[in-house]
Amino acid sequence: MGHNVLLVDDSSTMRKIVGRSLRQAGLDFDNIFEAADGLLALEVLEKESVDIVLSDINMPNMDGIAFLREKANRANMKDIPVFMISTETGEDIIGEAKALGAKGAIKKPFTPDMVNEILGPFLK
Amino acid sequence: MDINEKIIETTIEIFTTMVMMDVTVDGPPLQTSGALTDSITGMIGLAGTHKGVLAIHIPNHVAIAITSSFLGMDVAEIDDDVRDAVGELANMLGGNVKTILSENGRDIDLSLPSTIAGHEYGFKAATDVDLVVLPFKTEAGSFLVELQLEK
Repeated sequence: MGHNVLLVDDSSTMRKIVGRSLRQAGLDFDNIFEAADGLLALEVLEKESVDIVLSDINMPNMDGIAFLREKANRANMKDIPVFMISTETGEDIIGEAKALGAKGAIKKPFTPDMVNEILGPFLK
Repeated sequence: MDINEKIIETTIEIFTTMVMMDVTVDGPPLQTSGALTDSITGMIGLAGTHKGVLAIHIPNHVAIAITSSFLGMDVAEIDDDVRDAVGELANMLGGNVKTILSENGRDIDLSLPSTIAGHEYGFKAATDVDLVVLPFKTEAGSFLVELQLEK
């Protein structure tokens, strides 16, 4: 059975690249939703059935950390797993993201194999 | 790791794994990025324990080729896709430079990436900075990666 994924990144290029990497990694998604920042991601999660979120950290309006914090306070979405995809891989930032519920992190630049290695076990 | 080596390693990694384009170093570091003609520059600022800016200067025709390869689609002119792709290149380069300058990831903040483009312009620091300008070459043409860090 497929899953629905939400890609959160202010770069439309990166959203396309992540979507392409998911397909190249052979990960099976029925729908790929997109949002350009944390605020828009919350709107998608309020309306759509999403199984997994892949989110950037450094974004305008609401960054990835603030998104995690807000999402954790909403009962209808707090259990949806989030993986960070970012150039921001400092231990403090990733540690903070994980403390707020992020399941893991993928460092940019990445390959489809790296995406599969981190997300694959979670989706099986 | 030396900052020049890190920029070279990261640039090659980004182009190989994500842009899907071969890139090589195109000679020794330069003293300045000089006059930029018919080009687009993606840049991202660093603030905190290290202050400065990371920029990638790309001639328009090279930026169009890079974006076409990056997105896997034909791009004909400098449009929003090219501006976004060049900004994202600066973002990835800046983020990786941050990882070797930062002690813990919290002592340096990155700005959001932005781009400038024009027929002829220069890219100069207003204050005294340590400057690194590295030339790279692709099959579509050459580009520069520049790091300015406040002394």
